[in-house]
Amino acid sequence: MAAASTSAIPNNCRATQNPYPNPYSLKSSHLPFNFDKFTSPVPNKKASISCTLTPYSTAQQMEPNPKPVLLRPDPFGRYGKFGGKYVPETLMHALTELESAFHSLAGDQDFQKELDGILKDYVGRESPLYFAERLTEHYRRPDGKGPHIYLKREDLNHTGAHKINNAVAQALLAKRLGKKRIIAETGAGQHGVATATVCARFGLDCVIYMGAQDMERQSLNVFRMRLLGAEVRAVHSGTATLKDATSEAIRDWVTNVESTHYILGSVAGPHPYPMMVRDFHAVIGKETRKQALEKWGGKPDVLVACVGGGSNAMGLFHEFVDDEDVRLIGVEAAGFGLDSGKHAATLTKGEVGVLHGAMSYLLQDEDGQIIEPHSISAGLDYPGVGPEHSFLKDLGRAEYYSITDEEALQAFKRLSRLEGIIPALETSHALAYLEKLCPTLPNGTKVVLNCSGRGDKDVTTAIKLLEV
Amino acid sequence: MSMACNSQSLFRPSGKLSSSNYKMEMIRVKSVLQPPRPAVDLSTASAMTSIAKSRIETFTKGLLGGLGPAVVTKQSLTKRLMEEEEEERKSCGNGKFGCYGGRFVPETLVASLNGLEAEFNSVLRDPAFQEELGTELRDFVGRETPLYYAQRLTNHYKNGDGEGPEIYLKREDLNHGGAHKINNAVAQAMLAKRMGRKSIVTATGAGQHGVATAAACAKISLECTILMGSLDMERQSSNVVLMNLLGAKVKVVEGNFKDATSEAIREWVGNLETSYYLAGTAVGPHPCPTMVREFQSIIGKETRKQAMEKWDGKPDVLIACVGTGSNALGLFHEFLKDEDVRLIGIEGGGSGINNGKHSATLVRGEVGVYHGAMSYLLQDEEGQIVGAHSIAVGLEYPGVSPELSFLKDVGRVEFYTVTDQEAVNAYKRLCRLEGIFPALEASHALAFLEKLCPTLPNGTKVVVNISGRGDKDASTVFKYELESMD
Repeated sequence: MAAASTSAIPNNCRATQNPYPNPYSLKSSHLPFNFDKFTSPVPNKKASISCTLTPYSTAQQMEPNPKPVLLRPDPFGRYGKFGGKYVPETLMHALTELESAFHSLAGDQDFQKELDGILKDYVGRESPLYFAERLTEHYRRPDGKGPHIYLKREDLNHTGAHKINNAVAQALLAKRLGKKRIIAETGAGQHGVATATVCARFGLDCVIYMGAQDMERQSLNVFRMRLLGAEVRAVHSGTATLKDATSEAIRDWVTNVESTHYILGSVAGPHPYPMMVRDFHAVIGKETRKQALEKWGGKPDVLVACVGGGSNAMGLFHEFVDDEDVRLIGVEAAGFGLDSGKHAATLTKGEVGVLHGAMSYLLQDEDGQIIEPHSISAGLDYPGVGPEHSFLKDLGRAEYYSITDEEALQAFKRLSRLEGIIPALETSHALAYLEKLCPTLPNGTKVVLNCSGRGDKDVTTAIKLLEV
Repeated sequence: MSMACNSQSLFRPSGKLSSSNYKMEMIRVKSVLQPPRPAVDLSTASAMTSIAKSRIETFTKGLLGGLGPAVVTKQSLTKRLMEEEEEERKSCGNGKFGCYGGRFVPETLVASLNGLEAEFNSVLRDPAFQEELGTELRDFVGRETPLYYAQRLTNHYKNGDGEGPEIYLKREDLNHGGAHKINNAVAQAMLAKRMGRKSIVTATGAGQHGVATAAACAKISLECTILMGSLDMERQSSNVVLMNLLGAKVKVVEGNFKDATSEAIREWVGNLETSYYLAGTAVGPHPCPTMVREFQSIIGKETRKQAMEKWDGKPDVLIACVGTGSNALGLFHEFLKDEDVRLIGIEGGGSGINNGKHSATLVRGEVGVYHGAMSYLLQDEEGQIVGAHSIAVGLEYPGVSPELSFLKDVGRVEFYTVTDQEAVNAYKRLCRLEGIFPALEASHALAFLEKLCPTLPNGTKVVVNISGRGDKDASTVFKYELESMD
């Protein structure tokens, strides 16, 4: 929807400069991205530079209670005050080019047809909306009443997670742009494997940045990426984990921007990535609407999804954001507990700042330095979150809760035993929240949970910690 | 041609008949082992009742004694038989494929197998069951699986003139559980529930069938016991962990799949009324091969429809790997009567079919009886079963489906072999060219493309059954590469 509204703006209104002051120039820090805390809303003094023809004055975005017609994002990539493009000048052109390519392809029938064909034959869409009978029975109260639980089976996709929806689309986009080389960062390796997969499929060169620590822990995933023909580069700086790999990948992109496309794995990062990745995952929500109509002649009442960077959640939610009667619930990782300091509950415990090119909630200390997050699940182990989630939280449109490692493990075991589906540990966080949610729901409430990935990759971790 | 036959115990062949005694032995064997029932079933309700009665009487006089199971069986079988309408023959047939197949089992199992057969036939014609199965296949398993045009693989096989066949992959790797095994597991679990059974027992080789069964049992709420060979457990330990997680009990058996199968059937025989033996492959006594094939035939049915949609025609060549034959039959069965569709099965050549370490049952085996059915099998001079070897655990079975044995003899299906090394190369090739990890089993089918494609005219439509995904095999390939570098 946001894409439609931005394309309504005539070309001469597309500002090539970010009208908001570039924090980079204000600080003497040598880091490309500013990690400082922002306590005041970003000033919009220069809003008048923007095209007078645009009906969407940026001043509107700063109102405390925005009107129902909300831009997600606005022409400058902002979701309210969140989002934006906090990047060095060298990347601005690439981002603008990416954005125009994306908008033009969104309307291109051939591109859509090709993408649909790949999603159907290669990825295996559409993924089923599965009625979890035994899980529903588990949540039935003694009087026989309870909600109906449906699982959106993104675990059945090729490579076993929702990640491929975006990877495939971005690889196709990169090809259209004439790029021959793809880079990506990865934590546990899932996004790396998804990226390497699509590069093999499309015959593109592929470089994956991975923290040296992560490479040790995930040697099988490293082997798989290499089998797929990708080059896996170890990152030794910092803590040698995901956030350092991300910074290194961005550095590579800055250097090789003409030949290289950076496949970002989530709805984080500078505009247009949050919008693009969301739109490429939006097929999840679109299918859900259609399937819900077929199955029970209505809409879902509650949507539940786990939130790391936020891509699977946005993919499910996006279609329904404007349906006020559909409740949106995101579940983050509380790790060892919200008070332990070892968690990844960005939206619950974070504060606003800029990370990896976007303004959003993030886990930071008193000095604005990033706090190393913790979660049993690598995919939720991210200290930031997509700007659109920050926006939806502040708006009150979506609710965000968190679940500990222990609760997630129990949910992991529960779904395996009750439905014969082994969920990813990430997904298990969303499943665990059902324990708290279902007792509060009226009889017959239709709950759709995004089963964002399968758990084969997590079995060894889980077995060590569970008594099976 | 000599034959191995078991006349005493169920699952231990007791020696080859020497050719000089062949004729006499044949007659004797026939009278002892031929199932006592006539080939034509359900011709008249009254005839069937009397046959059923006599069979039940034999059963109660048999080794098991006790009235419990006999009473239940008698009532349901007779009742069902009396309610049967006069119709065309059941599609189940009589379990014979030429001279192959049959039901070489002790009397104790005959009534159970009859009950199973009757139940199977009734679900084949029950629209409610078919609809429920269809929903489970769609929502739980994730069918229909795509027929994927492998562009880069096709390019790889183009010759200097840019000509070559078109390669399509039937994506059974995208099923829940990662292999085609679940099609059968879900259907049979539903059948077991319908029959009122509380627990399932089964054997698994590579573990895929075990995982699929455990998943189906968790979902349908049945207890599940899985027997797995100790040698297999080592090689596919990740699958063992999955089975445990899904709530199944995994029991170790010394040896590999063939030993696990024997043990599973022994367990079943001990609990005939409450337990259900879920055959994972198209071998075993009738009706198992037919049932498994029927439940897997959805693969071929979808392929026909998808081929029509994609290129308005039929496939020209179908290729599948053959361990016991369930995925191959699943793909082929739909097209058996289409003479213009060429059917190719690929077996495990191990480290070479001339050095004895392989799983090439149809290419190198001889006819005998094993696990209740007559079929080709790998046997030595004395009719003892020879262990099969392949880097792909799922292909390591010294027997093969009786239906495939028949199809080989009549020349409808061609069989070839591929070595471990060729399979590993094919595994790596598909990863690199298409970003798909094929199971090492399916890699055998893919490897055969190297020999096949240069012989095919331009534009030939080839469909390869990617029977499973290869995540489980990444460490095997890793080790194999390390070892071959030494």
